[in-house]
Amino acid sequence: MSLVRINKKLHARYGGAVRAVLHDGCIVVQGHLHKWEDVVEACQTAATKYSTTHVVNDIVCDEAKEKPMRLPSLRDKVLDGRKPDVLVIGGGISGVSIARELSKWKLDILLVDKEPDLALQASGRNDGEVHPGIDLSKGSLKHHYIRKGNEMYTQVCKELDVPFQRVGQYVCFNKGYLKPLVALYCLWRKKHDGISDTKLISGEELHRAEPNFGAEFKFAISNPSSGCVCPYGLTIAYAENAVQNGAEVALNTAVVSMQVENGEIQSVETNRGTVYPKLVINAAGVFAEDIAKMANDRFFSIHPRRGTNSILDKKAGAFMHSIASIKEITRSKTHSKGGGILHTVHDNLLVGPDAVETYEKENVATRRESIEHVFAKQKKTMPRLSERDIITYFTGVRAPTFEEDFIIEHGRKTKNLIHCAGIQSPGLTTAPAVAIDIAKMAVEMLEKEKAVEPNADFSPIRHGVPVLREMSDEQRAEMIRKNPDYGIMVCRCEEVSKGEILDALRSPICVPTVDGVKKRVRPGMGRCQGGFCSPPVMQIIAEFLGVPLSEVKKSSAESAITFGRTK
Amino acid sequence: MTQLICIVCPRGCTMHIEEKDGAYSVTGNACKRGERFAVSEMTAPMRTICSTVRTAFPEAPVLPVRVSADIPKDRIFDVMQEINHVVVNTRVRRGDAVIQNVLGLGVDVIATSDMLYTSEGR
Amino acid sequence: MRTFDTVVIGGGPAGLAAATAAHENGAKTLLVEREARLGGILKQCIHDGFGLVRFQEKLSGPEYAERFIDAFHAAGIPAMTLTFVTRIVPAHNGGFHVTLVSRDGVETVETKTLVLSTGCRERTAKQVSIHGTRPSGVFTAGTAQHLTNLLGELPTRKCVILGSGDIGLIMARRLTLEGAKVLGVYEAKPTPSGLTRNIHQCLHDYDIPLYLSHTVTRVFGDDRLTAVEIAEVDDKMQPLPGTEQIVECDALILSVGLIPENELAESLGVEIDPKTKGPLCNGQLMTSVDGVFSCGNALHVNDLVDYVSESGECAGKNAALYAGKKRREIPINASKMLSYIVPQRLDLDADNRETVLYFRSRDIQNGCTLKMLVNGEAVFTKKYPFLRPPEMERLTIDFSKYPLDAASKVEFDIEVKAK
Repeated sequence: MSLVRINKKLHARYGGAVRAVLHDGCIVVQGHLHKWEDVVEACQTAATKYSTTHVVNDIVCDEAKEKPMRLPSLRDKVLDGRKPDVLVIGGGISGVSIARELSKWKLDILLVDKEPDLALQASGRNDGEVHPGIDLSKGSLKHHYIRKGNEMYTQVCKELDVPFQRVGQYVCFNKGYLKPLVALYCLWRKKHDGISDTKLISGEELHRAEPNFGAEFKFAISNPSSGCVCPYGLTIAYAENAVQNGAEVALNTAVVSMQVENGEIQSVETNRGTVYPKLVINAAGVFAEDIAKMANDRFFSIHPRRGTNSILDKKAGAFMHSIASIKEITRSKTHSKGGGILHTVHDNLLVGPDAVETYEKENVATRRESIEHVFAKQKKTMPRLSERDIITYFTGVRAPTFEEDFIIEHGRKTKNLIHCAGIQSPGLTTAPAVAIDIAKMAVEMLEKEKAVEPNADFSPIRHGVPVLREMSDEQRAEMIRKNPDYGIMVCRCEEVSKGEILDALRSPICVPTVDGVKKRVRPGMGRCQGGFCSPPVMQIIAEFLGVPLSEVKKSSAESAITFGRTK
Repeated sequence: MTQLICIVCPRGCTMHIEEKDGAYSVTGNACKRGERFAVSEMTAPMRTICSTVRTAFPEAPVLPVRVSADIPKDRIFDVMQEINHVVVNTRVRRGDAVIQNVLGLGVDVIATSDMLYTSEGR
Repeated sequence: MRTFDTVVIGGGPAGLAAATAAHENGAKTLLVEREARLGGILKQCIHDGFGLVRFQEKLSGPEYAERFIDAFHAAGIPAMTLTFVTRIVPAHNGGFHVTLVSRDGVETVETKTLVLSTGCRERTAKQVSIHGTRPSGVFTAGTAQHLTNLLGELPTRKCVILGSGDIGLIMARRLTLEGAKVLGVYEAKPTPSGLTRNIHQCLHDYDIPLYLSHTVTRVFGDDRLTAVEIAEVDDKMQPLPGTEQIVECDALILSVGLIPENELAESLGVEIDPKTKGPLCNGQLMTSVDGVFSCGNALHVNDLVDYVSESGECAGKNAALYAGKKRREIPINASKMLSYIVPQRLDLDADNRETVLYFRSRDIQNGCTLKMLVNGEAVFTKKYPFLRPPEMERLTIDFSKYPLDAASKVEFDIEVKAK
């Protein structure tokens, strides 16, 4: 779309309040608007889907009084003067998978994340679906990586000891007359994308596979290659494998500024000292634009989009065994994504997410309306679905660009920088494939200076904490014989033993908090939500660290659970 | 006339108390204990308190205790102060006094569990 | 494989009473307890008021529990503590195989009968639709009680309590005694959920306000909780827009209901009563599965531990005496005036049909009559000066006194005097 046409449209909609200008190869939208939804709409008007000419949002918005990025309270000099070959910013699925791929080389890799654990933002706050890639348009990076990413999951999850199941996905239709059209679409997809397993199934076949799905569904697209994974489990596993192979992960570490000279990042300021990396990888999620700006390389904008998922009791997990989504022909503007229902690898049901535009990058507070909206919709897929089975819910914030595609490329103005930005759905699916490419880009860049040797000691195998509830009685007895702590049950809902909790604390990236342990071995993930097990988990952590109970935190340094002895 | 909810037992009777020349007549109570409670509430309200005391034993950082008999309601926080200063360093048994004649009120603060005694292995 | 006549699962007050009763009635009994010490939740209920019905004494929770523990040990019944049941499957001979995990390994034992005394769990913040962030400082009352009374740690300095259930009221007083400020107890219902005496001795005595028809809708705080949003609710307990107010505090303590724990029962196919969330039982407290008995708070949420012990004794005794006799059951129905009645079934062929019934009125009633109707005709009546939903009522009926057969319709109803 030409600039003239964009401005014509913007003028028609907003009068003189906003206009678009071309600057440094980007479409910069400038002006002043009151409401954030108008800002998003104006930028969307200026953007072309999947284009590499990006919209940069410079509109002043009255409503969007965003708080500054939350920073960890920790202040030390532990990293001061470090000169890593590669600094990866962001401990989400993108950053950790890149770090792991890079650890195949003899490189000094430092990954930083400002949060007290990995996967605390979008990577830990999504539905964990490994997508089939059927609904993506050719020419996008999403499309480019999706099949490869999907196919890699079997091996990656095996190497990293992460549960993954190709449970299959059904896209259900309730309008029978659409069947010929959808059939054609499937054929076309197969031909163009080589997606061989996608097939159209009748309502009867659908209900045989999933008897609790809505009776009004006439037919469905079946995608057997779809699967589900525990998204934070995979993120942690990738990071642990990177650490085993020599990379370093620094949590509670935020990038606050950069010094850029002659188109090169000279140094990176963190709350833990100044770092002098040869190369920086921007995998900062919703903050990718902020990092790009620090690096003098801002050529895109992120418009955060939040989504809320609900987790249902394992009893509801028996209602269905796959992934379901409905295709509705009408699309509402505010809730563009449909979400679905998913049987998780831990046998819960997950319902959601919705999609709501927001200027708040870090506001993960849940709202009643989101749950109501999602359930109203998903009950059409499965009428048995009930809010009464909810055991918890959570909100995550996606990090899309206005072009709604990934940005995987070198800095446009800053040389020693690679962006892995705009990562949104299906970013979890594509991560293994994207990581390989970015690692390759990084190695090629570093090789310009000096040769990069492969890491001869690299092992792709990571062993997770043994999961005793999944073992046979004989295996379990043998484990307990070696370590009686495996016989002491701490979490009754998820059957987690003291031994498993201690293993999590001794794992390569120790996060000795109640949430850190919960993310790794699941005490508190069940139906009582830690009501019974949180005090004993606190005791185990306190004993492990040799600190009083009041020093055991939920997550961040400020999230104290108790205030010390009663007397 | 004063209205009062009896707290002696879970029944929670609503009682009405009438005073005449220093004598009280109680109605609405289902038993004698209720009447005694009502009169005591009018003259000198008494309460039980239960709490914990610190111990010297890591496996049981606190030990549950209570007063051996009711104490004046307005002395609750004074007694709590005393309780808060105690550290039990012997393996006392259920019913043993951890404070004798607390604040001269004529009641003891007693342990309500054998946990220190049994945790040593009986 | 070790074999038993009766395996009791759960060593709280119900299980202790059940195991002791089973043993006294000649059963070779095993008690299995998940925690290191027997006593169940009573270990942390250090307040007094237990045993008034049974012992006519005002005991604290540990004192009450330890009387039963002492009796249990004196009888020489084996107990496995720190032992967790991972699985129960029916055995070919009509009994059950119970798989136990402990520090000693994995053991499967065989038993003729089972008593499930697995207690209950607390409803959580998410189950009452509280939204907002996920800070530390959101506790169920039981968790706050564990931290305070067993670990000696203060979970709050200034808190709001949601729900006027008894544990919430008890914790309001307890935290106040330990120096915390309880800003108020908020209850979504128009009437309190806890016992009247607890409203008085826990709240009024300490000047803690009780706000009825109010609920907590949101929590704030990125790290530790900093505030909660409170709203008034309509008669359907839905928050009224425009009534929201923010209350600054460091903790939200929830006492919003208890749910019987019946996951093991359900794994055996035991039928669950949607009203009590516990198994449907007959007068012997046998569930719909032959040889499986239920008692205590797993059967239904009791208001007094005295009744928990009583149901434990009933279940334990009948488990010991169970001889595999066929049953002929009719339902004991509760009208809409009752929120539930336990047991829900009557075995017409039971040797002893003198049955202890527990029920709760659905609403507050003053001056009313409980009626037992057989085929629509009142055969038994009992007058009550008042009935309140938080207070469970107990009564004994000897069903052998009434001519009942398989076609009889038995219903309990509450008749309220016309104004």
